[in-house]
Amino acid sequence: MNVHQMSTEPALMSLTSVAKAIAQKRLSSREATQSCLDRIGQWQPRLNAFMAIEPEQALAAADAADTAQAKRNISGALHGVPLAHKDMYYDAGKVVTCGSHIRRDFVATVTSTALQRLKDAGTVRLGSLQMSEFAYGPTGHNAHYGPVHNPWHVDHITGGSSSGSGAAVAARLTFAALGSDTGGSIRMPAHFCGVTGLKTTVGRISRAGAMPLSQSLDTVGPLARTVLDCALLLGLMAGADADDPTAVAGPLPDYLAATRESIKGLKIGVPTAFYVDDLDPEVERILDDTITVLKREGAEIVQVELPDQRQLTAACQLVLAVEAAAFHKRWMIERPQDYGPQVLMRLQNGLAIPGVSYLEAMRWRGPALAAYLAAVAGVDAVIAPVAPVAAPTIAESDVGNSPDAEAVIQRLTRFTRPINYLGLPALAIPSGFTKSGLPVGMQLIGRSFDEAMLLRIGAAFQRATDFHARVPKPA
Amino acid sequence: MTRPTPKEIKAMADVAGVPVSPEVATRIANSIGPAFEGFAPVAGTLPFDLEPATFLLVQTARNNEKTVK
Repeated sequence: MNVHQMSTEPALMSLTSVAKAIAQKRLSSREATQSCLDRIGQWQPRLNAFMAIEPEQALAAADAADTAQAKRNISGALHGVPLAHKDMYYDAGKVVTCGSHIRRDFVATVTSTALQRLKDAGTVRLGSLQMSEFAYGPTGHNAHYGPVHNPWHVDHITGGSSSGSGAAVAARLTFAALGSDTGGSIRMPAHFCGVTGLKTTVGRISRAGAMPLSQSLDTVGPLARTVLDCALLLGLMAGADADDPTAVAGPLPDYLAATRESIKGLKIGVPTAFYVDDLDPEVERILDDTITVLKREGAEIVQVELPDQRQLTAACQLVLAVEAAAFHKRWMIERPQDYGPQVLMRLQNGLAIPGVSYLEAMRWRGPALAAYLAAVAGVDAVIAPVAPVAAPTIAESDVGNSPDAEAVIQRLTRFTRPINYLGLPALAIPSGFTKSGLPVGMQLIGRSFDEAMLLRIGAAFQRATDFHARVPKPA
Repeated sequence: MTRPTPKEIKAMADVAGVPVSPEVATRIANSIGPAFEGFAPVAGTLPFDLEPATFLLVQTARNNEKTVK
């Protein structure tokens, strides 16, 4: 296997480790930032993971962080830690392309709440990360900026839409990255690239200043190297926000503390159908292996019979298509030629869904969530594959706007969309590798706002395995 | 709930102010057909007193907790 597990190279540290090393002055922000920039220089030509790289500004910000620290002026838990994020989080004064031609020169005038909270914690900006155009694509193809390549095998996709986030975290170019998940866009790249990704509950993190795709389904979340890293980031970003009334108020759990708890006695459900149907044999094997590890760590594995998940997928598609088309209607009229063909095609789908059908899908969301929660009443979380296959090649998934493109997209997102429709949290964790060296991830699905339980289970799994610690090497 | 035909889709797109060609209408019909069919068992069956905001109530309700240890 093409891996590199131990090194003194700062960029190979986890987010929590590098933050601690900087706080304890064992490492400077400049050293951490330079190490990331060195790796970006090495990997970017192979991966196309970055939209913009800002070495001079990053090093200047790192030096400022080091100077501030010398004066005992510490910003927060991520003081001096260099990060890059999906290029859809508004950062005042910076170009935010949203992966599109239409916003190629768009300069944000505000900073998104999630990003601002990370900045307030002391982060340094490395640049911005590639993504699917307007976050509307599950493969990582981009008609304007080219595909992002999978660091484990550059002929394969990263998954999308947080394609740059998945590739950059996997290749250790950034210690973590924001993604967004509307139909699977954090979990898919986490699965295909072998990193940890947290899709949060709808309402857990403010979406103010994040590019919208679907106001009912959009969620903000991190991709990182470990569950602990995700816990740290969630704790920094979660909570109420005056700029986003949909962000839920109330006390937040101690997410880092949750990662230290045992999973002995917890019940984890394995679906009897849908999520276990038509799996690639290697994904099936890795699901079984994951269950074995969780059992060994003390969890009780039980079968759960879920309501019909195909109906949830269909409802998700109706909601997403209509809301995306509504956001984009003006540009669809004025600038249709500036969209990539597949994205335009998918946006046009929303024009053909009657208002009554859309509202029925929205009205059913409550009863559908209630039925799901009743079905999982006896378990702490459900485990399922993120996708039925490991990463396909870029060539075989390049369906453009061909007649079967939507069918290909639906197959890839089969196991993620029902969770988006229900608004539930899900944690994707690296769970194994195929014989050809491609990563495979599983998702732990929880109750609304119970990210802490998923982090607890995921951390226990990562204490018992090393899949998350493996690092791809340049071929 | 039946999937819309290309002719109906063309009319809907025209009304929405984003006209599409007959070819595009046919492609859209094929793309969204499965979503209509998948949702058909639910469509037209929902009770009268059900609002979209019910989702928020369920999401934050006490029963959104593990009930069996």
